[in-house]
Amino acid sequence: MAEPILKVSNVETFYGPIMAIRGVSFDVPQGGIVTILGANGAGKTTVLKTICGVMDPQKGSIAFEGRDIQRMDPDKVMRLGVSHVPEGREVFPFLTVRENLRMGAYTRRDADGVAQDLETVFGYFPVLKERADQRAGSLSGGEQQMLAISRALMARPKVILLDEPSLGLSPKLVLEIFDIVTRINRERGVTILLVEQNANMALKVADYGYVLEVGRIVMADTCARLLEKEDIKEFYLGIKDQGARGQRRWKKRKTWR
Amino acid sequence: MDAEVKAGSSERFEVEGCDTIPKLFWHQVKARDGRIAFREKELGIWRSTTWREYGQRARLTGMGLVKLGLEAGEVVSILADTIPEWLYADMGTMGAGGISNGIYPTDAAKQVEYICNDSRSRFMFVENEEQLDKWLEVRERCPLVRKAIIFDMEGLSTFSDPDVMSFDDLLALGREHDAANPSLWEERIAASQAESLALLVYTSGTTGPSKGAMLSHRNVIFQLGNADAFFPVGDNEETLAFLPLCHVAERTFTAFLPLRTGAIANFAESPDTVPENLREVAPTTFFAVPRLWERFYSGITIRMREATWIGRQAYRWAIGVGLKVAEQELDGRKPSAGQKLLLRLADFLVLDNIKRSMGMHRVAFAVTGAAPIAPDLIKWYRALGIDMREGYGQTENCGLATGMPDQIKLGTVGTAAPNTEVKISPEGEILLRGPHVFMGYLNQPDKTAETLRDGWLHTGDVGFLDNSGYLKITDRMKDIIITAGGKNITPSEIENQLKFSPYISDAVVVGDRRKFLTCLVMIDYDNVAKHAQDNNVPFTDFASLCRSREVQDLIWAEIEKVNRNFARVETIKKFRLIEQQLTAEDDEVTPTMKLKRKFVNEKYKIMIDGMYAEAA
Repeated sequence: MAEPILKVSNVETFYGPIMAIRGVSFDVPQGGIVTILGANGAGKTTVLKTICGVMDPQKGSIAFEGRDIQRMDPDKVMRLGVSHVPEGREVFPFLTVRENLRMGAYTRRDADGVAQDLETVFGYFPVLKERADQRAGSLSGGEQQMLAISRALMARPKVILLDEPSLGLSPKLVLEIFDIVTRINRERGVTILLVEQNANMALKVADYGYVLEVGRIVMADTCARLLEKEDIKEFYLGIKDQGARGQRRWKKRKTWR
Repeated sequence: MDAEVKAGSSERFEVEGCDTIPKLFWHQVKARDGRIAFREKELGIWRSTTWREYGQRARLTGMGLVKLGLEAGEVVSILADTIPEWLYADMGTMGAGGISNGIYPTDAAKQVEYICNDSRSRFMFVENEEQLDKWLEVRERCPLVRKAIIFDMEGLSTFSDPDVMSFDDLLALGREHDAANPSLWEERIAASQAESLALLVYTSGTTGPSKGAMLSHRNVIFQLGNADAFFPVGDNEETLAFLPLCHVAERTFTAFLPLRTGAIANFAESPDTVPENLREVAPTTFFAVPRLWERFYSGITIRMREATWIGRQAYRWAIGVGLKVAEQELDGRKPSAGQKLLLRLADFLVLDNIKRSMGMHRVAFAVTGAAPIAPDLIKWYRALGIDMREGYGQTENCGLATGMPDQIKLGTVGTAAPNTEVKISPEGEILLRGPHVFMGYLNQPDKTAETLRDGWLHTGDVGFLDNSGYLKITDRMKDIIITAGGKNITPSEIENQLKFSPYISDAVVVGDRRKFLTCLVMIDYDNVAKHAQDNNVPFTDFASLCRSREVQDLIWAEIEKVNRNFARVETIKKFRLIEQQLTAEDDEVTPTMKLKRKFVNEKYKIMIDGMYAEAA
């Protein structure tokens, strides 16, 4: 097997005295879509923040293209080719859409390339072109999400860390966004590490998935197989056998197999 | 049945002048009245229940059942975790003249159906929504049951079904019936007879379907009469109740012994919160199965490895002092004044803190039983200053056959309970006789005849008695391995040493009619994951942890350590890890999380054959 583009090994990350990531290891293969599922507080966002350098791990290593990037400054990681689309979009509200996108290309010197990429993202998200000179703060949630993804693309990354793109969006928009995410992956060969609570969607677009529970990986498999697992069905997809009464409320013990 | 007669059944046994469980229960309810019977944690606060309340609720439960048609001699099943309601149902049923039967809350619906029908249960207590669903799944096939009663109605407010009622409604029904017939409860209690069947205990069948062992009031009362031979009988004792009450050991400690001793049972919130609850309650006597003792020991061992250099040295020194004194005491010698002083210091500086961290600083007396344990583990607890003793018994002899007297012999399970006999058959099997021996298996005369012969209970365990009457158990008779080379090997001895490792949760040694020994190992997930993490071994899920080279090496190193203590033919040559994290619901383990040898041997046959195929 080829060397994974991103390799996380035994990472531990703390918030003060609280250990949020309790030894996590996983691989993201070149050109793939990998998803990390988990409930609130499982540590999904912390994993992404640790990879992109916003947080430093106490222990463990993160290798990007074979090179250690743990404890590197976020801008350096970004220059190497890892773009982060943070949870809640975090667009610059007082800048226009176009300015936001240019901020994404801040590290680049090739004006022609940037102009070309601008057209490409407008191709993916035509609505952004319509609103190019509007302040980002006045966009709808879905448009802001599109903008955040486009902003990340403007850096021509090799890997995009995508944190809950479906947050607060209508089901139709979620579908649309995931469609584009898949296209970006396929057409531009960008590797994607996707963190999601919308397990149904994530397992459909990704190839491989990890389940994170209280800072530890408890399950790892191809998404096709994960979709068949009893625990995934019950705890992540909300599919459960309703029992004789037709309204089962109690939860089974998770076994992760 | 003549077996019973020969066992000396004419003799009467009484505790406080009472010869049945309900008589003794009601006597104590009146005598102890406002004293605390037990506690349970409710919304984060430990709340107590007095004997008066305990008695009242049991009475209303019983009267409710009578109102619903319970006749004397009919069976009532209880499908619930270890909670106070279990005791209300238990004492209520027996008070009303019924026979009480527990079903493991981890049992699958199919097993519930089997036990329900085999025992001819007329009523079914279910703990909550989860257990109710099991019941609803099988009730069509259990036509004898008149009503199911739910303890906890959470999530069921809109549920209604003519065959199901809430526990509160049952109590209300009981109250009405009690008011209309104020003397009926005491009449029913007075009618209870020592010789009659009091309870059924289904033994987890590692072979074939489970069997309902029949225990009489006399069996239980006899055991309670013997209680002071091995246990402190003071009335200020506090215990922690957390094992399944269907198991004869927890039933004895939580439901029956307090009838004699007045010990206060504290109900753990759930099986998962035992360590926390233990610290909150700080019991004075504590019964647990080896698995738990092993876990606590592993926890401390791992923590000590993490400790600072000074911490480690201090621990090593203190436990050394403790061990020395413990060993002397085991030899029957008194420690010198200097040693006592040193021990006091070690206790003050280190040992007491360790005990506190486990919640065992008040434990004056600890009992292990229900499964074999490594003698070194007992020694470790004794070094901490906890008077830990091993007992031996089984369902068929109402819990206790032998207990450890004050002169302790490590590696043995002590001497026969007073007024009972232990002997070894020519085949080496341990035989028991006395008023503690059960009435037989329900509906299974063949099995009963096989187990009870001439008044002797055939335990199926192999062992021997030493000169002073101490019993040493070698193994289960049918577990003994005879290798292809004709060598007899007792696997449990090896397994107990393996389990002593903090990384091994349980192990099954294999090798019957094979050229060499191998074993299947269930790893201790927390400790192994920690080891992997500390050594930068990447892993994702449980299986990937098991497969990593380093974990394989780690377990092999632990096996090698144990191998050194055995002769060459008794050493383990190969092993495999069970790559699935097992829970109490799984068929591979008993409700107390012991691997079932026979089941494991069958389920992992391919894996086992693989180990032997490679070698060829």
